[in-house]
Amino acid sequence: MKTAVDIADLSFTYRRYGGQAQPDPVLRAVTLSLPEGSKTLVLGAPDSGKSTLSKILCSLVPRHFDGDLGGAIRIDGTDISTCTPWELMTRVTLVAQNPQEQLLMTTCADEVAFPLESLGIERTALVDTVHNALQRWGLYSMAQVNPQEISGGERKRLLLAVTEAIDAPIWIMDEPFDDLDEQWRQLLLSRILGKKGTVVVFASRYLDEFRGNFDTYCHLFGGNIVRKSEEEIVVEFDRECELQFAPMQEEPAELPNHELHCTNLSIVHPRRSVSSDQPFSLSVPEFNIASGEVVALVGPNGAGKSTLSRVLCGLDPLVEGSITIDGSAIAGKGLQTRVGYLFQNPDYGIFLPTVRDELGWSLRQIRRLGTEEREQMVRSCARLFHLDLDDNPTMMGYGARKQLQAAVYYLLDRPFVIIDELDSGVTYAAAFEIVSLLRKNGAAIVIITHDRSFARNIAQRQYTITNGVVSPSEVGV
Amino acid sequence: MTTSTFVAGRGFLYIFDARAKLFTVLLLCVMVFLPIRQTGLWTLVAASFLSAWYATDFKQALQPIKTILFVLVIMILFTPLTYRDGEVLVRLGQFPLATKEALVNLNILVARFLGITYICTLYMWTTPMADINLALRWYGLSYHAALVLTLAFRFVPYIADSFRMIQDSHALRNATVSDGERTGRHRLADLMPTVTAALVVALKSIPHLAMSLEHRGLGRETKRTSYRRLVAKGGLFTHLLLSVMIPTVFWLVFNTL
Repeated sequence: MKTAVDIADLSFTYRRYGGQAQPDPVLRAVTLSLPEGSKTLVLGAPDSGKSTLSKILCSLVPRHFDGDLGGAIRIDGTDISTCTPWELMTRVTLVAQNPQEQLLMTTCADEVAFPLESLGIERTALVDTVHNALQRWGLYSMAQVNPQEISGGERKRLLLAVTEAIDAPIWIMDEPFDDLDEQWRQLLLSRILGKKGTVVVFASRYLDEFRGNFDTYCHLFGGNIVRKSEEEIVVEFDRECELQFAPMQEEPAELPNHELHCTNLSIVHPRRSVSSDQPFSLSVPEFNIASGEVVALVGPNGAGKSTLSRVLCGLDPLVEGSITIDGSAIAGKGLQTRVGYLFQNPDYGIFLPTVRDELGWSLRQIRRLGTEEREQMVRSCARLFHLDLDDNPTMMGYGARKQLQAAVYYLLDRPFVIIDELDSGVTYAAAFEIVSLLRKNGAAIVIITHDRSFARNIAQRQYTITNGVVSPSEVGV
Repeated sequence: MTTSTFVAGRGFLYIFDARAKLFTVLLLCVMVFLPIRQTGLWTLVAASFLSAWYATDFKQALQPIKTILFVLVIMILFTPLTYRDGEVLVRLGQFPLATKEALVNLNILVARFLGITYICTLYMWTTPMADINLALRWYGLSYHAALVLTLAFRFVPYIADSFRMIQDSHALRNATVSDGERTGRHRLADLMPTVTAALVVALKSIPHLAMSLEHRGLGRETKRTSYRRLVAKGGLFTHLLLSVMIPTVFWLVFNTL
């Protein structure tokens, strides 16, 4: 059978802003050969080099992200070092882990159309392809909506629609199942299995959907790639990532006694890019959480999980209803001082040159502590969250930045914390550890997730958003 | 990585052809700088504001004023000091603080600034960015030049959106019970981390933007096709005729008011 992707002795080391190479290479000696039509799953822990490898395969690294590349890659027999990304686009398409990285246009339809216009596809066929792709991924009604106004999962679906529309023979997909709910995960799986071409899926978690559905299983570890049977790879990966669900730490000995209660909340927000008689709305008849509890908030893409979170932490206003903490009505600034919100993107909160500065800064803002006492707290917190105090946060991996974000809230000691998609980009073990540590302080935690196994294993109660209404439901269902 | 300046709304401006509308914008902007009566100038500002209000809503219509408020205040404070001639209205010792001529010039300057801001904003609000791109190409601009121009209009608001998210993140991180006691100096100091984080997000997104453009085929030599088409209901000629008539009517009104 013809070889679609041939990677030989590939190594890559990022360069720092100053130009010198970083001490540790991301990829050391990756060698892999994939036949045409194969379906490959590459498992790798967060920060193991999956995103880098996926971008190298599309000739985007080191072209746009400086580094030293060694070895060779052949796509359909052509050495890609001689190809530009636009030449490769008819052969390979990338779905990036973070959809925000790839979105260019100001409506969903234009986003799908842009690469087809580059290919010079005749207009009638172009319009059909755009509409079919949007229809398939449930975005047809949002064709004129700005991609910035849709949810993370919908953005991921938009990228998948673009990928299908281009219809290149090779798909490189970096964590494509992240952010998708059950229905769309199943559709993605069926599209991957039904594709005649080659598909390489990179993932940092072994999901139920993967079982038995790929013909090649690999493990990216220590900058190298190994190819074994599915069982062996899963065991090996499990060992590396401590993937098994770690038991939650014991209940804190003395729990504070705080309760956040919402009654008859009504939340409405319009979309700027389209006129609609019915703007997005969410209704919350009853929602409550008490100290020490872990509650999952689940729902399909675009259901309003992040919208509710923004209201709960006082960033967005309510149309009607009431929020009380310990029986007293509370809103705006009051909520902001009691409810923490770990945004999906950790970069929004990071701005100082070292981890020490980041941790110390917020502590200095809220507590009157002596320098020594503060330094001690910062040091012990860094130890708990496995952070190096001298690291530069903006240069750290995604998982480490998430840990830092959680560490900041650990020090802030908020009685209620909302964590948006913690399980994306960090291992289950790391996610469990973060929740355990925050809970150790007695915080009540709301976890937003699409991963039912994760919700089942971490939460005691669950709320589901269905058709714009938030209601209690069975955990993990 | 980009965001739209388009605001969905109602009215004639949404069906006015993007090419003709662009021509009207250019003519009105030129007209604002011609020697016209002050009442006429303010009529144009008022008409632009009312159009924005009708097309969107009152809160949205006020947005451009909020955006340029700082510059307006600086203009109002300092422009009178640059004019010493004419009838002195306010004097500090021997120093004329405001003359009649200064106030007339300030009035014209503010009206021009507001007028241009509203005219251009209205165009951006009522025209999808892809249509602006097509309109620019219709006037002979190359695809790449039009793309660069429209990308700038999309990327900058995206950074502004990120700035708001970062502001929210920092508001939560720094919220303290004693927030009510925070002075203006504290609030100004709070801006530093927000601006730094926004800068980091902006710098990080530049290579991603370039990467995505190339991965989506920018650079190919194939002749580009277009998903969108500019359709002028009633014919392009009618729209172009209107695009000349609107400024002409204004011009005539200005000079009789």
